[in-house]
Amino acid sequence: MNSKIINSIKQFVIAVLTIVLALAVGAILVRISGNDPAEAYTTLFRGALGSKARISEVLVKMIPLTLMALGMSIAYKAQLWNIGANGQLTIGAILAILPGIYLGLPTVILLPLSLILSVLGGALWCGLAAWLKNCFNANEVITTLMLNYIATYFLAFLVYGPMMDPDGGGFPQSKVLPDAYHLPLFSAQMRIHGGIVVAIIVILMMFFFWRTKLGVKIDLIGQGDKIATYAGVNVKKTVMVAMLISGALCGLAGWNEVYGVQYRLLEGLSSGYGDIATIIALLGGLNPLGIVIASFFFSALLVGGATMQRMTEVPYSVVDIIQGLVIVFVIARTAIHFGWPQKLLRKGKKDA
Amino acid sequence: MLSSIFTVGFLVSLLAGTIRLATPILLPALGQIYTQRAGILNLGVEGTMTIGAVAGFSAAYKTGNLWIGLLSGMFFGMLWSLIMAWLSVTMRANQVIAGIALNILGAGTAVYVYRILFGVQSLPPQVTPFAAVNIPVLSSIPVIGQIFFQHNILVYLSYVMVFVTWFILEKTTFGLKIRAVGEHPRAADSKGISVAGVRYAAVLIGGLYAGAAGAFMSIAYMNLFTESIVSGRGFIAVSVVIFARFMPVRAMWGALLFGFASALQMRLQALGIDMANQLMLMLPYIMTIAALIFASKKAEFPSAYTIPYSRLER
Amino acid sequence: MDNLAVSMQGITKIFNGVKANDNVDFNLRKGSIHGLLGENGAGKTTLMNILYGLYQQEAGDIYINGSKEEISSPIKAISLGIGMVHQHFMLARPMTVVENVMLGKKSRRGILLDTKETATELKELADKYKMNIDPYSKIWQLSVGEQQRVEILTAIYQGADILILDEPTAVLTPQEANVLFDMLRHMKADGKSIILITHKLEEIISIVDEVTVLRDGELIGSKLVDEHTTKEELTKMMVGRDVLFNFDKNKKAPGAVKVELKGLSASNDKGLPALTDFNLTVHEGEILGLAGVDGNGQKELCEVLTGLRKADGGQFLFKGKEVINQPPVFYINSGISHIPEDRMTTGLALNWSLKKNLIIKKFHKAPFSKNGLLNQKAIDAYWDKCQKEYQIKANSGEDHARALSGGNQQKVILARELDDHPEMVIANQPTRGLDIGASEYVRQKILDARNDGAAVLLVSADLEEILQLSDRIAVIYDGKIMGILPAGADTNTIGMLMMGHKQEEKA
Repeated sequence: MNSKIINSIKQFVIAVLTIVLALAVGAILVRISGNDPAEAYTTLFRGALGSKARISEVLVKMIPLTLMALGMSIAYKAQLWNIGANGQLTIGAILAILPGIYLGLPTVILLPLSLILSVLGGALWCGLAAWLKNCFNANEVITTLMLNYIATYFLAFLVYGPMMDPDGGGFPQSKVLPDAYHLPLFSAQMRIHGGIVVAIIVILMMFFFWRTKLGVKIDLIGQGDKIATYAGVNVKKTVMVAMLISGALCGLAGWNEVYGVQYRLLEGLSSGYGDIATIIALLGGLNPLGIVIASFFFSALLVGGATMQRMTEVPYSVVDIIQGLVIVFVIARTAIHFGWPQKLLRKGKKDA
Repeated sequence: MLSSIFTVGFLVSLLAGTIRLATPILLPALGQIYTQRAGILNLGVEGTMTIGAVAGFSAAYKTGNLWIGLLSGMFFGMLWSLIMAWLSVTMRANQVIAGIALNILGAGTAVYVYRILFGVQSLPPQVTPFAAVNIPVLSSIPVIGQIFFQHNILVYLSYVMVFVTWFILEKTTFGLKIRAVGEHPRAADSKGISVAGVRYAAVLIGGLYAGAAGAFMSIAYMNLFTESIVSGRGFIAVSVVIFARFMPVRAMWGALLFGFASALQMRLQALGIDMANQLMLMLPYIMTIAALIFASKKAEFPSAYTIPYSRLER
Repeated sequence: MDNLAVSMQGITKIFNGVKANDNVDFNLRKGSIHGLLGENGAGKTTLMNILYGLYQQEAGDIYINGSKEEISSPIKAISLGIGMVHQHFMLARPMTVVENVMLGKKSRRGILLDTKETATELKELADKYKMNIDPYSKIWQLSVGEQQRVEILTAIYQGADILILDEPTAVLTPQEANVLFDMLRHMKADGKSIILITHKLEEIISIVDEVTVLRDGELIGSKLVDEHTTKEELTKMMVGRDVLFNFDKNKKAPGAVKVELKGLSASNDKGLPALTDFNLTVHEGEILGLAGVDGNGQKELCEVLTGLRKADGGQFLFKGKEVINQPPVFYINSGISHIPEDRMTTGLALNWSLKKNLIIKKFHKAPFSKNGLLNQKAIDAYWDKCQKEYQIKANSGEDHARALSGGNQQKVILARELDDHPEMVIANQPTRGLDIGASEYVRQKILDARNDGAAVLLVSADLEEILQLSDRIAVIYDGKIMGILPAGADTNTIGMLMMGHKQEEKA
């Protein structure tokens, strides 16, 4: 147990160093763009954590990112490279908003109903890729990617066409949800909303997930089809279940965006959360605690970066670069750590 | 309304547009054939193209020479893919993740560089793009000439590269090495071929093509650089390669398919026909999935696809 | 020194602190066949990989034909006239023979391939050594023996005078092996020098002129082989102790019929028939040894019996009940244990801890699962018990399965498969790739399972193993049972059946 703790601390220190290194490169880029790195980072930091309202903004971003990253982590553990989080969020959001706009149900019925629809929508969209994989051996990287585009264009079709708000001045967006349906805010001054409760519940469930029968099965199919089948696991079924859950959590993120933040459908709803969520899942080592920490870091970077762009002359692309660098450093490190382990070297001798 | 669709003029512009719009998909797809045949799935093409677009545009704008722009796009595309090669070959990282990371990093870097070089301007700077080269005699054939022989030089070159790529892969020692490295890296290694070397080369060639395609977007198609200039073409190229089962001529058909869908959508929009453009744009993606369904059953992926190689590991 | 094709002196190779070769000398006389003998893990392949330029030695010198050489890569080795035929063939399957050959050579047409010329030359060379090979066939169309010939042909085509063969007979029938040996003698007469890596004593005695023995990375000695050389003395050099070649089988009369297969048929991965009209019974408390050359349907049989493959037809009666084509979990729950052929991909989750590997089939059952969650305490306790009982050498149960040696990996599988007193044990090549010590342990455990009353189906390509353990011996060829023989049957008889020759005076 002790060595486990030491190992975790080591992991954490390395992760922090990685981030510091990326920030250092960012500082140089800020300098080159003719700005003061100290000022830029101060602004970024204040923008992210300088006040309760700012922290609330970070949490607002964290909700979808954490949910999606947790979803991704389930697929990735099974070695299913679901990169379709954006599409799954989008379909979840579309299904979730339909009853809110068109049915006029009481809030107590609508909120759970819309939540279920969002989960179904995300699960369906991801399950489609699983089905294609199971039945046609279609590579899920490509199918989830294609489904992203299809979902994005479908959303665009809706908000430019049948769902466009007639009083919206031609903007590509749907009608606004009635106030009664908005997820409750904790304070009138801040945007942090009731969706966080849902997110926390999901996080808590994920802490146990990998010790459940299903979790172990999903982990096992990630070790290889052969060993999983051999151990009595139905691989196709488990692939499907893993992808359904993965997509469901992304769909749930869509519900949060629609009922907690935007209150309507609009073009580009997913705003590229999917790629970042993918990276958070990996950076967090596919484990729930790691994901929450990584998600906090990236959310802070996004929120602070936006402030930095507003308040200084520093281009926002620096934030993208920092994100990209963090992940490149992490992959390089993971590879050094796991790619050339002693065991392999010993194995070279194996057949000798 | 339909009468305005079934005119010669419409068809000519549609098919000519198909050929032109297929080009920036065909080029990176050809490059990815090398890369994927060598066993590496580079999802970072999108980012590489964006880098190529900004490099091509900047060089062309600053020197006033489009060819220097093209070379610059190719060079920086290659340089950028060096990171992918390093991550996937030397570091043996997960290729999906590495590709996504490089897309984020590539988009950020391209926009940053553009901002540093051009600052913030109300009107984006533009270049005069490659002009159409009318092939003598052929271009004056009615209909056919307009469709096939009135494109800019890069379009012609791209289609020539289809043959070149096929020839290199099937008829040269280098092509044989690429195939071997993707199929059975250990065998290639034991025959004295540097697996890492060939894979680096394959990724760099992929970057070269992607850089060229990016430059095509900014100096032969859009005449300017924007953040979203590539808008998914890199990803499409990757899927075209799989759709084409790693064969150049099939990749050309795949690229033309996407070109056709975009051209059709643009033509119809130009006519003011409201046929749900977004749904139209969805079509090629649906068709890719459909193609994948048919192809996957028999798709012969290189045996070592996405698997890093180590001499010590069995 | 003049008559030495290869002289390796004081070779030391260290992998991560472990000496794979420790100050090893090796001398190959020109025009001789030299056996390199040792258990798995003795350092034979490492030494040869150094000679072939795949690894670089930490210390020591290599002389080829008397001159000192730095063999920095296989290219260098090839240019020095060294060729190697690996245990796992180094052939790209979708490519043709000639394409595979062209990989390792310079083209006469610069950057263009010289396919036609190469194919012609290859054909001539193949004819010279009486190998019937079409240069334009794709590798996947060839049989294992033919693929091996392609490998040898490639090496000779590249101008190899020194040929290294890594366990070449492991995949061949005795008859195919004889053909290979004839080919090798022919090459020797042609002046080629040949190194044969092996752990089969018969081969050393029958074909080799001189033998070098390694143990634990160290040189034990070299000696000329003549008619006075005995298996026992070679064994002593190889393992450093006398090996019990015979187990006390403590024979009992077999019990009731536990498994009955009637007219079973199944297809292989390519959809071709792998088992046709296959009939077999296994009794309680009996080891039925299934002898046969690899690829004659053994793998498919084991998979059908464990639900990993669907049978096309026939009956599988288990304790009298029809159980064909059930999902794998059904057979697991019925008490059918399976020691799979491939430890690395099927038997173990290499990146899982040893503890978790032990419960891979029962993690969802009590006591390992409590209230729907894994019960770490029970898992820890189970590991402690199994580690002791099965003498698994590991630092901790948290180690990844990948970290263990082959023998210890197999012990983990044995613990998992045998600890619950199975009704039936299917052991497919249970000692493949293990050293003699570990093999002996595995065989003892299989006997124990039999004595415990299990019906054991032992599938092995190793005749010696079959003869040692089996109560009855069935021979499989081309998906059919060729004959069933009593324990202690004559090797030649079995060998003939393995080749598909039914005898006239069949018992």
